[in-house]
Amino acid sequence: KRGLYRKRRGLYREGLLSDDGFRLDGRRPREIRSLRMRLGLFPRADGSAYIEQGNTKVVALVYGPREVRGPRSRSAPDQAVLRCRFSLAPFSGPERRRPRGGEGRGSDLALRLQQSLEAAVLTHLYPRSQIDVYSDGSHCCTGTTAAALAVLDAGIPLRDVVCAGSAALAEGTALTDPNGAEEAAVGPGLALALLPASGLLALVQLSARVPCERLEPVMEAAADGCRELHRALDRELRRSLRERHGEV
Amino acid sequence: GTYTRHGFIFSSLAGCVEKTSEESGLPIVSVVRDSDPQLLPDVGVVVTCKVCSINSRFAKVHILYVGSTPLKSIFRGTIRKEDIRATEKDKVEVYKSFRPGDIVLAKVISLGDSQSNYLLSTAENELGVVAARSDAGMQMVPISWCEMQCPRTHTKEFRKVARVQPEFLQT
Repeated sequence: KRGLYRKRRGLYREGLLSDDGFRLDGRRPREIRSLRMRLGLFPRADGSAYIEQGNTKVVALVYGPREVRGPRSRSAPDQAVLRCRFSLAPFSGPERRRPRGGEGRGSDLALRLQQSLEAAVLTHLYPRSQIDVYSDGSHCCTGTTAAALAVLDAGIPLRDVVCAGSAALAEGTALTDPNGAEEAAVGPGLALALLPASGLLALVQLSARVPCERLEPVMEAAADGCRELHRALDRELRRSLRERHGEV
Repeated sequence: GTYTRHGFIFSSLAGCVEKTSEESGLPIVSVVRDSDPQLLPDVGVVVTCKVCSINSRFAKVHILYVGSTPLKSIFRGTIRKEDIRATEKDKVEVYKSFRPGDIVLAKVISLGDSQSNYLLSTAENELGVVAARSDAGMQMVPISWCEMQCPRTHTKEFRKVARVQPEFLQT
């Protein structure tokens, strides 16, 4: 099986873009994958969201604001503390992983999630409390977006819905929102979290080597993807709110 | 659920826009959701709590209600001996004021620091025990500001009794 995967990988390296400029799954370089979302799936959590982006599926849960668990010194006197956890399902990668405690709280992905959310959540409204965010999926960017939606569903005031997206560089062309095969072929590239209304960047992370002059188009591609994602989310949100209330 | 930036009004919640016009001046724009927002105990609000343990210096309580809204999760608080009543503070004894299981009205005086929980006070006539059970397990009736009586055994027990305001009884 692994050999097959390598072979496919080699195949992809040869041509990620067709001669007409289409990608392997038929998208244009600046197109994002298809999106589905739902809010409030879990009545036990204060807020929850589910996002499907292509084959990536993410569930995010939010509990709180509630009393700080553990040592009181962890709480802040003037704002709420965000505690994030990001976990990957064992079946979420190309190979089945053995579940480990490694990607729990404090891991790299959880820190990225926390950093992105802290830019958006109005934590100063809830002093001396904590908000727990659990994101569970296969992709960090989708996980961040899902977590922001779950916070929104919990009724916690937000500056903006954080939209996170990624971009990769393949054969000199920036690809927005790469799928699993493209990421396997050229690496994850750039991850970006954007507050679309203000255009502020909550997080930028570059995890591949990109030539300096190529950086700008890659970032632009990722930001484009975020904005496109925001438009789609906005439409979906309005629709789901209209279902609940009748009118927005 | 709104804030302003650069002269525009932004929503920080996902919900319905509600416009209420005041007779004097500008309309109020607010964004509301179908469910109640999460509330936290704040300084100065009256909370309803349940006593869970007492010792000679303070009583530990669980905060259940803020005003008349129930909390989704409990918050822990402390009522120190000095904060139980307003007069003759040095003569207060905790076990003559509260017992575990009592329902107490209290006011939040501090959010606490890094060591302590919410600090509560009952040093007002309207604050103190509103419901308590006797040793026999009956709901006791207040007979004075510091005593309650069991209707079955007629034994009297000491409590810091609240004079419940009529408007609180309705809610």
